[in-house]
Amino acid sequence: MTDAKQDEVDPNAPVAGMDFFMQLEYHELLCPVVREFADALMDKRLIGHRCPQCGLVYSPPRGYCPICVVPTTKADEIELATRGIVTNYTVVTPVQYYGQEETEPFAKVSLQLDGGGNLSLQDLLEVPVEQVHPGMRVEVVWAPDSERKVDDITNRSWGTAEGAIQGWKPTGEPDASPDDYSDKVF
Amino acid sequence: MANDIAIVGYAQSPSLRQAELTEPQFLFPVISEAIERAGVERREIGFTCAGSCDYLSGQTFAFVMNLEAVGAWPPISESHVEMDGAWALYEAWVRLQHGDIDTALVFGSGKSSPGLPAEIYPLQMDPYTLTPLGADPVSLAALQARAMLDAGKITEREMAETATRSRKNAIGNPYAQVTGDDDPETLLKEPYVTAPLRRHDLPPISDGACAVVLATADKAKALSKRPVWIRGIDHRIDIHQPGMRDLTESPSTRIAGKNAGVGKGKVDVAELSATFSYQEKLLSQELGLGDGVEINPSGGPLAANPVMAVGLARFAEAARQIAERGKKRAVAHATSGQCLQQNLVAVLEGD
Amino acid sequence: MQERLTTHTIEFPYTRTLGPVYSAFLTGMRDGQVLGIKSRDGRVLCPPTEWDPTTGDALDGDLVPVGPGGVVTTWAWVTEPSRKHPLDHPFAFALIKLDGADTGLLHVVDAGGIDSMQTGMRVVPRWKQERIGHITDLEAFVPEGSK
Repeated sequence: MTDAKQDEVDPNAPVAGMDFFMQLEYHELLCPVVREFADALMDKRLIGHRCPQCGLVYSPPRGYCPICVVPTTKADEIELATRGIVTNYTVVTPVQYYGQEETEPFAKVSLQLDGGGNLSLQDLLEVPVEQVHPGMRVEVVWAPDSERKVDDITNRSWGTAEGAIQGWKPTGEPDASPDDYSDKVF
Repeated sequence: MANDIAIVGYAQSPSLRQAELTEPQFLFPVISEAIERAGVERREIGFTCAGSCDYLSGQTFAFVMNLEAVGAWPPISESHVEMDGAWALYEAWVRLQHGDIDTALVFGSGKSSPGLPAEIYPLQMDPYTLTPLGADPVSLAALQARAMLDAGKITEREMAETATRSRKNAIGNPYAQVTGDDDPETLLKEPYVTAPLRRHDLPPISDGACAVVLATADKAKALSKRPVWIRGIDHRIDIHQPGMRDLTESPSTRIAGKNAGVGKGKVDVAELSATFSYQEKLLSQELGLGDGVEINPSGGPLAANPVMAVGLARFAEAARQIAERGKKRAVAHATSGQCLQQNLVAVLEGD
Repeated sequence: MQERLTTHTIEFPYTRTLGPVYSAFLTGMRDGQVLGIKSRDGRVLCPPTEWDPTTGDALDGDLVPVGPGGVVTTWAWVTEPSRKHPLDHPFAFALIKLDGADTGLLHVVDAGGIDSMQTGMRVVPRWKQERIGHITDLEAFVPEGSK
């Protein structure tokens, strides 16, 4: 609405709407398995739990495998590779809704890490969005020691590690064959 | 006529002031234990229904995460209510009436510790006239308590006596959070939190979960030596605006209790969702529970208040009285909304 | 391993449409007048509702002025206001049966202290200078006869 139009609003017109700003703050203890995940990130290690039954890898660990419905423990902890394959991606063209801080189109990618384990919603660095494609070989870019932090990791982070991992950059290797990842696209 | 449905398994988590685990993490062993106690195969369960609250969790669609504790792959038939797990039990009870499945899993869970109940609860109110005032549950309960005090329907001493008995009963309950053996005189010396309510009149803030397994008649007899039969169940709701009803009565409880058949026989024990001390007497009167009825032997919500599970926990505790303590007939009650706005009542019986 | 408390904030800026009944009620608030609505049985409901809460009948939007004063039918003394409450110092939540209304309006009473509160007391509204069409345009009720 322009200023000119605002000036035309009749102060005696019936009230037609009501603004309500809903804001809630939550303070939650980080659960032990995610705390271990965050601590490992500070040491530039990416950890997960491998299900003792089906072998699926969860990073960050959940403390259980939801597929097999079995608990996972420290004994199931593994260190994940920090190189892998882009299996899927999306390019977000930001709409300037409330809270949206991005202004330019950006890509989020899903990764299949070498040796097992998947991550989603990761940032891809050094690649224009129009060149992002499945099969790209990438490696992690850790935040510098002096800047690395895990304060923003919560129980709700879903594996994003902003603050510890800046993103993933191409390794320069040739693209992986679709046969290497086509059954792991998510 | 409704078909007979029985409770064949139940489990709870301890109620904690601040759980370190996530909701799916502490649900995981509770659901497993309920299924194990029922003696059914997880994959055999025909329907799953959950009760939880996304505003409590602070995440949209948080209830989807809770399904990780169930085992939902390959896909299962499931549903969710944004209500206490007792209403999930009601939905599962209705689903089992169809007759094409024979077992159902019900659970309720919530973490009240991360947020501030006084800020979250106003969001369930009328958004034009009540939410913008920050109408919180303790203040609204205090309005109802004063209405009862003014009407001569309760005394502050009776409220303290209820709290005292709840805390004493809770001493033997491994899931309880608030226990103690203070006498009413000591509690009455405490200052008001929100007058006329003192700390002991309020429930604790709790994180916790409860799960129950239901079965149809033939299945229940095959599974359990002592199935706990749901003989009647009903839920009713009163007017939302607190100023448009007589706060010293609860017609919804009265009608639900009548339809559930509370008065059709002697009641041995009742587990009531009396979240605030004064509510116990009001509910007992509306349900016609006399002096011989043992009320909240678990300690009730004043001892453990895992919101979204606390009503379902009344079913688990009432069922325990029948399955493990030899009681014959029990009442389970759950409530929702402010000032006992909505009430669910069930009658449970052993063979 | 140290416990670690994480902070997480959710925000939703809502704009609600009002419909005829709440539009009229909040327009009244903006204009410094509390309105109720007549139900079919002749009672005056305040706050007004779009449907009769007893029978479910649609109400026709016949809003009538109530108040300005009224009687406190029950109250609760809030010693520690939350940041979502309308007042930042101790106050009373109260159900107030405004003159001419048959039901209680939930609002706050700025009484100064708990000793100034009692069931049955008369209160009058204190309006904000700047009003926008909101329940809190009525800043608070105050004991009748107080400044």
